[in-house]
Amino acid sequence: MKTQFWLRSVAILMLVAGTPGPATRAQSPKLKSVAKSQTVPISTRSQRARDEFELGMKQREDLLYTDEGLDSIRAAVKADPHFALAHAFVAFFTTDPAEEKRERALSIRDIGNATHDERLLIRWMNGTKNGQIVPAISAMNDLLSKYPGDKRLANLDSEWLCSGQQNFDRGVEVLERVLKADPNYFPALNNLAYCYALDGKVSMAPPLMERYVVALPGQPNPQDSYAEILRMAGDFQGALDHYRASLKIDSHFASSQAGLGSTYALMGEEEHAREEYAKAVDMTTDLGTKFNYRLLAAMTYFRQSQPEQARKEYLAIANEACKAGFPLQEAEAHRSMALFNPDPASALRDLNAAEAVLSEKHVLSAADRDTELASILQTRAFVAVHASMPDVAQKAFEPLKIMAQTSRNNLVQQSYHSASGAVLLAEGKFADAISELQYDPRNPLSLELLADAQKDAGDAATQQKTLAVLAAINDERVETAVAAPLARAALKATNKTTAQSLHIAGRL
Amino acid sequence: MRNRVLIVSLLLAGVVSATYATEFAIVVNPTNPARSVSLADLAKILKGKTAAWPTGKNITVVMRDPSSPAMKFFTEKVLGVGADEAKSVLSDSARKPSSPVVFAQSDEEIVKFVGSNAAAIGVVDVYNITGSVKVIKIDEKQPFDPGYVLKGH
Repeated sequence: MKTQFWLRSVAILMLVAGTPGPATRAQSPKLKSVAKSQTVPISTRSQRARDEFELGMKQREDLLYTDEGLDSIRAAVKADPHFALAHAFVAFFTTDPAEEKRERALSIRDIGNATHDERLLIRWMNGTKNGQIVPAISAMNDLLSKYPGDKRLANLDSEWLCSGQQNFDRGVEVLERVLKADPNYFPALNNLAYCYALDGKVSMAPPLMERYVVALPGQPNPQDSYAEILRMAGDFQGALDHYRASLKIDSHFASSQAGLGSTYALMGEEEHAREEYAKAVDMTTDLGTKFNYRLLAAMTYFRQSQPEQARKEYLAIANEACKAGFPLQEAEAHRSMALFNPDPASALRDLNAAEAVLSEKHVLSAADRDTELASILQTRAFVAVHASMPDVAQKAFEPLKIMAQTSRNNLVQQSYHSASGAVLLAEGKFADAISELQYDPRNPLSLELLADAQKDAGDAATQQKTLAVLAAINDERVETAVAAPLARAALKATNKTTAQSLHIAGRL
Repeated sequence: MRNRVLIVSLLLAGVVSATYATEFAIVVNPTNPARSVSLADLAKILKGKTAAWPTGKNITVVMRDPSSPAMKFFTEKVLGVGADEAKSVLSDSARKPSSPVVFAQSDEEIVKFVGSNAAAIGVVDVYNITGSVKVIKIDEKQPFDPGYVLKGH
């Protein structure tokens, strides 16, 4: 296994060596003094640390070898334990909450070794993670202004804008500026396609993916991204073809292996999905990602109407995640069981278990804890409304209301509005419920409640539109697995009824 | 695969309209000691009723044209009027010439202006701020705080 890993690292190194990318390699001191750097210069006294850091950034950010990239940056901090920027990047990229906390603390401890511009980048990374958004934006804009040629920096910013902030317009603006300067800068092509797709402009994504594939030949990620975009658009066969093309290039590209699993799961081929997920679990070296893939695999039993087996799998994951110190995955296992639990009282007990995980002494950032707790409370309100338990919904809403008064976290705010909508729906205040639920238009649970509220308000036409939106979601979230099939069935039933009515009317 | 796999749950429903909301930031020169202003006092500054900072320096307001789509929410929220009326309020001839309102073409211009004018106050999209300006709180809240009054939808 060690030999395999070593060989793979060498292979990636060779790929990286032949890959065009931003030149952040150390310049000789002489050159440094005369030429203004195009990219944020990094400061470490260790050449080994510098090389590992640059390799890690290319792997992680440019080629999306996420595990290997993070390992290389970890190697950089091992080579230079006082390399503040590398500590901050490890904290930024890791899925391990204990490592995140430790590395962030080290980045602050060693910040005295960092240059002014490195400090700005550290401020941005730490700020985006701990809710200090205003200084984070200011720091990033200063860096982008000083280093307009740092494409990786702009790409990093755009990812946060499109993903963390859902500010697609701004993300697209940043990426288009990068692509204007370098039309073949492949990481930007990838991110721009995702920005458009996530903004609902899916048709703009495939041409960018075509360019991405051409710009980065012989790499798996362009095929992997193309596949995911096609899956989002509902083209499952196209997605399978591209995932396979990715794995043909690199048979160890875990993301594509898991992508096959998710595509088969959406196609209803659950056993096949599990086989693919199992391979993905073996491929990845990241423990958090292993748990995530196992959660997806467990969900296939629910999709297959085998709830007992699903619960068995989820409980096993919860136990192992507890022992390994991954509280988010542990809580998610319990929350997932609740969402599929047909017995409301038992579902609420699952949610109690999920909440209990967060109240235990785990190493977890405040942002992660708040986000997960908000999701649990939102799920509780959802379950309660469906079970006609308005008191329980109200009880779930109260702590969310308090959290929303102080949290800057988008997800907390959206969960608050969703739970508020659920309570209003239970009270029969349909117009107010609709208004609240519209604040959370990316969550399938909220969309389901929104459709219910629109129906109850007598607006069948809008309800059909909401159901159509929900039915068209093709992703691997547990919420989607719960709500989207119901929307598809409802639409099918409506179409059937409409067709029958038209048929009867025609006969009359 | 996109890069931020950790936040996958945030993103995937691309078929739905975006939830992004513009947050306006009120910015001043970093040398300005002001840290916070109430919404009512901000309205007075925009209307020219408050023409100087407590330090005695005359205030220059710099903002985008109120008829631009981006400013519609802002003028309604702060001045309580639509674009046309806002323009006449901001261009009122009774306003002291020493405390003018400057209309800029872009947020970048506004940030540059405020960054180089000690007594200026500007209105920008928070995503356009830089280290050359200082964001002040409105009613003791800053952008992204829950209940921040200048968050538009």
